[in-house]
Amino acid sequence: MQMKTEIKNGLTVCYVEGEIDINTSPGVKKSFDKLISSKTPRIVVNLSKVTYVDSSGLATLVEILKNMRSYGGRLRLSDMSSKIKSLFEITKLEKLFEIIADEKEAVSTFV
Amino acid sequence: MDREVIIRADNIVKKFGDRTILSGISLDIYKGETFVIMGGSGCGKSTFLRHIIGALKPDSGKVHLLGKDLSSLNEDEMDKLRMKIGMCFQSSALFDSMSVGDNVSLGLREHTKLDKSVIDIVVKMKLEMVGLRGFEDMVPSQLSGGMRKRVGLARAIAMDPEIIFYDEPTAGLDPIVAGVIDKLIVDLSKKLNITSVVVTHDMKSVFSIADRVAMFYEGKVLEVGQSEQIKNSKNPMVRQFISGSPDGPIKFFRQKDDYLERLIA
Repeated sequence: MQMKTEIKNGLTVCYVEGEIDINTSPGVKKSFDKLISSKTPRIVVNLSKVTYVDSSGLATLVEILKNMRSYGGRLRLSDMSSKIKSLFEITKLEKLFEIIADEKEAVSTFV
Repeated sequence: MDREVIIRADNIVKKFGDRTILSGISLDIYKGETFVIMGGSGCGKSTFLRHIIGALKPDSGKVHLLGKDLSSLNEDEMDKLRMKIGMCFQSSALFDSMSVGDNVSLGLREHTKLDKSVIDIVVKMKLEMVGLRGFEDMVPSQLSGGMRKRVGLARAIAMDPEIIFYDEPTAGLDPIVAGVIDKLIVDLSKKLNITSVVVTHDMKSVFSIADRVAMFYEGKVLEVGQSEQIKNSKNPMVRQFISGSPDGPIKFFRQKDDYLERLIA
């Protein structure tokens, strides 16, 4: 798993690459902890290069959302493959997250 | 279409003392299917299950699980492989001194570096899947038999296994609760694309969950096929087992002469 961040339109876009699973989830959480401790107000996570997410990966994303909400921050997920989207549906998490089809839309409409 | 074999048993033989329990079992189980092993008490089905999870070693023959030859693995490799499988035991095998949440999260706490906060979320997600939302702080003694089975199921899926093994999942449950467990097995298999291997002699359960069925008798596979094929089998032993008739080719009692010989032996 790899992650890089860019600032676009004044908000933070995170590009996660690879698998988010039992082995890599702690690293993903650590990367976001830095953004959360500086109270980053708006984050878009581009998941186009994420090949697999397991339950611990989903739980890590929920934890990130929970921590961001605690200071009034907002999180959007974009560019999810249909396979990963169906996981969000099975676990009923699609109603918890703001899931936007692509990054461009997620950034331009994030106010 | 070629289907991916996820478990291959090749001519498994096992003896306990001079009793042959498995006398040359060969079976392929495919990815994503619900495979049921049925047969009477003592037919070798649970012993076979213990072989395919690597808990017992065969006297001869080989087991391939998720592409690995179990006889070639050391303890560490076997432990890693076991993380990809889930077990649901007949007795639920919950720790009575632990809360429901701690029972479900046991594997995650022991085998991963996940934060407690993340593990707590996984536990809530798994309990939701088995219909036990909000039960994480209860202890097993506060639950009914059916609820305990569902906690066992939540624990079995906690680490996203590729295969779940069920040993008599509906034993001792009333028909409605047994139906709930059967539905859960099917739902979880289909939704999560998990391969399920179920050992049971609950006939109602067999035909409501199975894609394919194998019938064991005296340590051998008597017949294996699609659920409908087994249901309409012409084999008199399979027919007797399905109908539960005391009369037929399967004898419950050993021959009387055998008994008399044993008395004076």
